[in-house]
Amino acid sequence: MNKSEFFKPIEDAVNLIPDSKRTPLPDWDLETIRTTQMPSDTDRDALWDAFKTRFDLVHGKCTEGRADLLSLLKEESVTAGYVAPELKADLKPWLQQSGIEIHTSLDDSQIDTYEFGITRAAGVIAETGTIILKDQSTSSRLGALSPWIHIAVLPDDAPIYPTLFDAMNDLGNDPYIVFATGPSKTADVEGILIEGVHGPGIQICSRMKSRH
Amino acid sequence: MLATDRVTGTQVQLMMTCLCDTFFDSVAQATVEVLEHVGCTVEVPEAQTCCGQPAFNSGDWDSTRKVARHTCRTFDSSKPTILPSGSCSHMISHGYDLAFEKEDDLSTAQTFAKSSWELCDFLVNGLGIESWPGRFDAKISLHRSCHTRGTQTYQSAVKLLSSIEGVELIEFDESEQCCGFGGTFSVAYPNTSVSMGKLKIEKLTADKPDIVGAVDMACMMHLSGIANKQGRQFNKLHVSEILMKALRNAK
Amino acid sequence: MKTKQPIDAFARDLPPEIRESVYVGSKAKYDKRLDSLTQSFAAPDDIRKLAGQIKQHTLENLPEYLGSAIEKLEGNGAKVHYAKTGDDANQIILDIMRSVNATKLIKSKSMVSEEIHLNKFLEKNGCESIESDLGEFIVQLDDDMPSHIVTPIVHKNRKQIANTFEKAGLGDYNDDPQTITRRARSFLRNKYIEAEVGLTGGNFVSAETGRIALVTNEGNARFCISANKTHIALIGIEKVVPRDKDLAVLLNLLARSATGQQLTVYTQFINGPKSEAQPDGPENMHVIFLDNERSNILGSEFKEILRCIRCGACLNVCPIYRQSSGHAYRAVYPGPVGAVLSPLLAGKRYPEYADLPKASSLCGACNEVCPVDIPLPELLLRHRNKAKREGIKKASAGTPSMAGWSVLCSTPAMWKTSLRAGKAMDYISLNLIPVPAVQAWAKERSLPPFRGGKFRKWFKDRQKNK
Repeated sequence: MNKSEFFKPIEDAVNLIPDSKRTPLPDWDLETIRTTQMPSDTDRDALWDAFKTRFDLVHGKCTEGRADLLSLLKEESVTAGYVAPELKADLKPWLQQSGIEIHTSLDDSQIDTYEFGITRAAGVIAETGTIILKDQSTSSRLGALSPWIHIAVLPDDAPIYPTLFDAMNDLGNDPYIVFATGPSKTADVEGILIEGVHGPGIQICSRMKSRH
Repeated sequence: MLATDRVTGTQVQLMMTCLCDTFFDSVAQATVEVLEHVGCTVEVPEAQTCCGQPAFNSGDWDSTRKVARHTCRTFDSSKPTILPSGSCSHMISHGYDLAFEKEDDLSTAQTFAKSSWELCDFLVNGLGIESWPGRFDAKISLHRSCHTRGTQTYQSAVKLLSSIEGVELIEFDESEQCCGFGGTFSVAYPNTSVSMGKLKIEKLTADKPDIVGAVDMACMMHLSGIANKQGRQFNKLHVSEILMKALRNAK
Repeated sequence: MKTKQPIDAFARDLPPEIRESVYVGSKAKYDKRLDSLTQSFAAPDDIRKLAGQIKQHTLENLPEYLGSAIEKLEGNGAKVHYAKTGDDANQIILDIMRSVNATKLIKSKSMVSEEIHLNKFLEKNGCESIESDLGEFIVQLDDDMPSHIVTPIVHKNRKQIANTFEKAGLGDYNDDPQTITRRARSFLRNKYIEAEVGLTGGNFVSAETGRIALVTNEGNARFCISANKTHIALIGIEKVVPRDKDLAVLLNLLARSATGQQLTVYTQFINGPKSEAQPDGPENMHVIFLDNERSNILGSEFKEILRCIRCGACLNVCPIYRQSSGHAYRAVYPGPVGAVLSPLLAGKRYPEYADLPKASSLCGACNEVCPVDIPLPELLLRHRNKAKREGIKKASAGTPSMAGWSVLCSTPAMWKTSLRAGKAMDYISLNLIPVPAVQAWAKERSLPPFRGGKFRKWFKDRQKNK
């Protein structure tokens, strides 16, 4: 069916509505949807702290610096994982020295061999405890999705948005953006919470200083 | 008296509602006494029957309009009309809008709607009464009565009752849930209706209140009808009866 | 008790354990919703009303906003298709699959795809169509129907699911929810990789950017647009909103209303095929806009139902849904929203579903929780009126006729006579009155003593004595 045939009945339908009964587009701003979770302090460290609090509530884990991340990986006894190419120079030699096998390209047919995936976050949202992944900064969708553990590295130059509203107003034109608010989960079976359905069972956000 | 765009004043008409006309005369009496206590002169137009809701909820809007037109003619829209029912007053203030949507006399129905009030709403928002005198020693669980959603009735009833010395309003689980009456729903869906009622009774009486209160006798007729058949009894009172009893205890 | 209404009969005959599952699940979701909204917002009702206005405004200007979304999507390299009916949409999907020599499709949760019965159609045409949402996957294994918009297997318990998995060859009987979930994870991973085409719905589409917002908790919609090279988004025309920023209002409400989460775990925004540098994800993106009676609804007295964002809050709070379960509604959309929507989506088969709007005590709880403030009770009433005007028996069955009553109520002399005559009721057992409505009342309910006219007399005497 062509577009104009498809649109005809829709146009006819809205033409039936008298002008006096039309609803104007409401005007609203951040204040209208202010939540109690909205951070009041917008200094970067304060926003990071606010993010950590919210991220913790959705069962995410935060690490700061390399040692912190490594101890978390050791706790999970990982042996092999994926590191996004753009983080390779920073992270690969160091992780390999710690005895972990690192892949920097992802083979679709072997997705279960990667116990973790480290990719770059495009930013985070403090209000909701959300990690933002964009195609432009996450070089493999599957690398951030298929391993049991996903580590989103938040570089110093990536924004920490105070609110969902701020993040929505800065989506840019990336064709694919994911807001990840905690690990993958379901409550389909008797309402019981199970984490790690299709996506990561452990979601980490790791704040790191960029070395380059 | 408060600033309101509805018709208010102390020369009032009582619309007793068909249920009080047939079964619950004590509620209509209490309503008269309560209104007189706050200085109102009450008229009871003789020709009154019903607001038209049973037909409206059944989808028969021709019949609804027939009854509604009679009601609009029976009452004088320049004076407030007071109903001891959240449901019937909701019918007049909201249902008439819908039933008369495409009719020439929509404005007549709307004019009458602007003069109609549920009792508690009228006392608080029509007359500006903030508290109720007297005394009534009872633990009361007050059923919300669903048609009061979106109106000031329930809040007004809570405000008045909680100001009475001796009254303890108790909280109960699932207070947002319907009793299951729903007018003709109660006979078209007898199984669901009764199951809902049994659940409601369980919740309303869980904390062993002295009184189950309501702002509508339709809910009460359904709930006490079920309780009766089960051989369970609870003391039930319409909010007007509680207000009246508090007054009597003051004397 | 005898009943002429199918939903009432379904509720009567529902196995107690299913009623219990539905009741417990509904109540839990209702409570979480209320907590999360009141904890987050000073005046949640204002935000519901705002969201309702945004959606209503969009619907009233749909040609303009939908046109803009289409232009943006096409500009970003997506191919847009137009499906007048469900059959058209199914055929478009099959044609797209054939055009890329695909036989395997993986599906993220999509109510619209349920509405058009896509799985059955593709299977008939030699294609595999696999549900990836855990609940929908279990529904598909059982050849069952979802019973809730958000939690499709709320009517099943773990034992039934364990049996299903065992029968489907997904391991020995094990009813541990974690084991069930892990088995599905492992089975479906291979399906994601094998599938050539991923199909998703779309929760919202921004007219400003063409961005499709898509939410899942499990991550299945992410998988459906990662490993495969073709993505089909099947979306009802009513899903458009004017601006990206409006998504902030709706996303703030959707998860809170559905499950009590502040945000769904994964909220995705897709506005075109993958960029060249990205190794994963679809090179071809097809967006199918589906009408399927929606333009008719838009031109009708039921247009507000098109605001619905499929959160399921009206089901969770609905006492009739809690008593009867989703399957009682005989259609993809159950509960109050289904009672309004299903008869309309049925088109010419309206009379078959004309009883659904009777499944309500008109208590209004559904409107009170609706994140887009749909006047559901009003729409149910409009349906009842429509059914009455059109003389549809299925709707009127069990409801007493009101014609005689309306004469009685508009003739005061008759009314007063009946107040006197009604006294007889006190002397006759209700069970002996051969009126179906009286029988339906009296089986489990008594009537209070008849006191017709007593108040009138009391009041007259009182006036005389004043």
